[in-house]
Amino acid sequence: MSLLAVSNLTKRYRRGGKTVTAVDDVSFHIEPGETLALAGPSGSGKSTIARLALRLIEPDAGGIEFEGDDFLALSGSPLRARRARLQMVFQDPLAAFNPRATVARVLDDPLRIHGIASRSERPRRIAALLERVGLSAGLAPRAIHEISGGQRQRVAIARAIATKPSLIVLDEALSALDVSVRGQILDLLLDLQRQERIAYLFISHDLGVVRTIAHRVVLLDGGRIAESGDARAIIDAPQSAVGKALVAATPRLNRSIGP
Amino acid sequence: MIPLRRFLHTPEAIAGAILLTALFAMALSASLLFPGDPQAIAGPALLPPFQDWSLPLGTDRLGRDVLAELFHGARTSLAVGLAAAAAALAVGAVVGTLAGFAGGLVDEMLMRTTDAFQTVPSFLLALAFVSVVGPSLGVVVIAIALGTWTGPARVARAEVLSIRERDYVASARAVGMHPLEIAFREVLPNALPPVLAMSSVIVAAAILTEAALSFLGLGDPNRVTWGGMISEGRAVLRTAPFLSIVPGIALVLTVLGIYLAGEGIVETTAVRRGLS
Amino acid sequence: MTALASIRELTVTYRRDGREVAALEKIRLDIMAGERLAIIGESGSGKSTLALAIAGLLPGSATVGGGVDWFLPSFDAKAPPSVLPDISPSRGEIGSSTGVSSPAAMVIGEIRDDGAISPLEGEMSGRTEGGLIERRAQKSASGRSRTPLLGRDIGFVFQDPSASLDPVMTIGKQIAEVARTHLGLTWPQAYTKAKTLLERVRLPDPDSALRAFPHQLSGGQKQRVAIAAAIAAGPKLLIADEATSALDTIVQAEIVALIRRLVAEDGMTLLFISHDIALAAELADRIAVFRHGKLVELGTTARIIGAPSQAYTRVLLDAHIGLDAAPLLNRSRLDA
Repeated sequence: MSLLAVSNLTKRYRRGGKTVTAVDDVSFHIEPGETLALAGPSGSGKSTIARLALRLIEPDAGGIEFEGDDFLALSGSPLRARRARLQMVFQDPLAAFNPRATVARVLDDPLRIHGIASRSERPRRIAALLERVGLSAGLAPRAIHEISGGQRQRVAIARAIATKPSLIVLDEALSALDVSVRGQILDLLLDLQRQERIAYLFISHDLGVVRTIAHRVVLLDGGRIAESGDARAIIDAPQSAVGKALVAATPRLNRSIGP
Repeated sequence: MIPLRRFLHTPEAIAGAILLTALFAMALSASLLFPGDPQAIAGPALLPPFQDWSLPLGTDRLGRDVLAELFHGARTSLAVGLAAAAAALAVGAVVGTLAGFAGGLVDEMLMRTTDAFQTVPSFLLALAFVSVVGPSLGVVVIAIALGTWTGPARVARAEVLSIRERDYVASARAVGMHPLEIAFREVLPNALPPVLAMSSVIVAAAILTEAALSFLGLGDPNRVTWGGMISEGRAVLRTAPFLSIVPGIALVLTVLGIYLAGEGIVETTAVRRGLS
Repeated sequence: MTALASIRELTVTYRRDGREVAALEKIRLDIMAGERLAIIGESGSGKSTLALAIAGLLPGSATVGGGVDWFLPSFDAKAPPSVLPDISPSRGEIGSSTGVSSPAAMVIGEIRDDGAISPLEGEMSGRTEGGLIERRAQKSASGRSRTPLLGRDIGFVFQDPSASLDPVMTIGKQIAEVARTHLGLTWPQAYTKAKTLLERVRLPDPDSALRAFPHQLSGGQKQRVAIAAAIAAGPKLLIADEATSALDTIVQAEIVALIRRLVAEDGMTLLFISHDIALAAELADRIAVFRHGKLVELGTTARIIGAPSQAYTRVLLDAHIGLDAAPLLNRSRLDA
């Protein structure tokens, strides 16, 4: 049984009287503990799929099965409860937090909402979460806008793992980070996956990163699946036009050249 | 105290602060300086100002101390102005947030209600409400709030519509937060600054509306109000114009002070936002 | 090779929450005429501050030490300074400094009528302290020199084309305005020039694009328009400040190819500001690595990539995840 199975997903937008099909008949599945990457140029529908899978927006057609249940059939309180198992980390960690929030409040929310820890127990749990993502527990009272971008993304990951999810959607979660920080966050994500068997739906336009951390990749173009399969096999030898274009456009660093 | 120093940066803000401080001082010291009923007879009727230093601003037709009335009137004006504005801002912010955040049918219903209130001139609305329910301080406050909450509601809704699409709202939904908690804990606080920027205009308008209601005899009869004082003085406008002029000036200075201070606050927050 | 500009001991500090924060510290760097120089750094490295300082676009709150010496040939006969439209007294002064090697210090507020390219003009004018950068004209090879004019001598391409284009002005007018202001063309001539430029940046259907508004174009197309506007007056120096960072990989490669071609065709000098060392290496002749406001390392691209002398440069190179990077997860395959 797949952890997440998306079938024939379709989403249309009306923009200025015209109907744009952002996601067109897309099907894929993610197994427990697996990383599936959605890659493609901008406008290929990868972020829309992420938001559909999280039910932040509703599809026009298709089905989503999560942990064996019809995810689209849930609503209200059962849906909110199930959200504990399906979390998200956004691209811009500054935009993903309430500008007035502190680190402690950001981590308190999921613990409180899902009744994971009592009020008196929460400060201890928050400290443990911070330490789990490699941050000092002393960071808790700080305001979100005071800490660095890398720290913010670690807090975002801590918030996502607070409810012990089985799947985390990473929507360009590494793109806004400095390269030196990106490596550390990547290591953290892989470590979490190994320890907690969390599956990732990894949205990215960076094929280099996709190739290093994803098991499988779905290449999207214009809302449709261009090709999908083993990440390294596809990126090393893409068959689709968009796959070839993406690979050709990725900058290469040839370090063998001497002075 | 850096924000205060920054607030007192412009001459307008300083003038506004001085006027407001004076107004608050008047309101707070009214019962200390003028204990007893300001509506009691204190001396001969129609005593002109600056004649008798125990009654510096003279007396009105019934021999009441104009200065005492002025001080006690400041209380009413401030109380009504602040309470009505607070009520209007609170109702407006809540209605605007619900409409903007919920969207769809809820938005339609709330905004059409807002339209309905906005199409009736707010003063007529207040007039009708007080006439029907009867004049008392609380009723006057509600009457004024009834006509002024629509502005804050529209501003709050516009702000919420943009905030609703931000990532942190999506993040709150993804974490499983209840929609009402998202609306009032995540969205509303961030939508407030432009709504609060309207508060000075609303307070000033509320004070003027209160004065107008009192002038028409629809104020709380048990309280001294500036509008009521002007109305009283109207009967003897030719012989004792000061009875209308003194509370009139107080009213003008109050509204001016609130407006200038409000401008100063908006300027201060704008500067701070520009720096960050 | 001769230098186009020589940055000497450039220090820029901002005041933030009452504290002085140094964005650049004693930078010494020569920009050679005709070269493609990449400035590489992470956030907070000062790379964008350097771009703004060179273009004279620093905000008024910045304090500047040191300066930039320019070695620009004087205005060509096609557009002598005296016939430039909307000439300001300050510009007259600069014109008269032609042929004189004495420093002509320049306040950034004085270049504010350069059209859409200079932002915050109202805030910058009238400032007497802060943001003042000494941009001296030096004797050039031809014996004549002057201080540079943004738009005329320096073309600037920003990261976000949606923010740098005027949303209520047609594409054609935005480009034509630059050509008209700096080349002394009439409006019809400027529009013809704008159409040629749109063809040069390979915008599909240039005729209808002239009449289009920015929101009708895609992100990549908008950046093409911004580049067309930046090169409209035939600048000597093109500064691209993270000009491809907001674009996806495919469009990024197209824009980089476009910049490479335009720089070669017009003999421009390119200053390419980027956080992506691999991207910079594909485009630049030389790379300057910045960190915490300091110049860490400077050298030819081959030398920096192949044999970096500084540890930080190696960190940046190692952090790059290319298509040949070793996968990190063979251990974590679903064997649990």
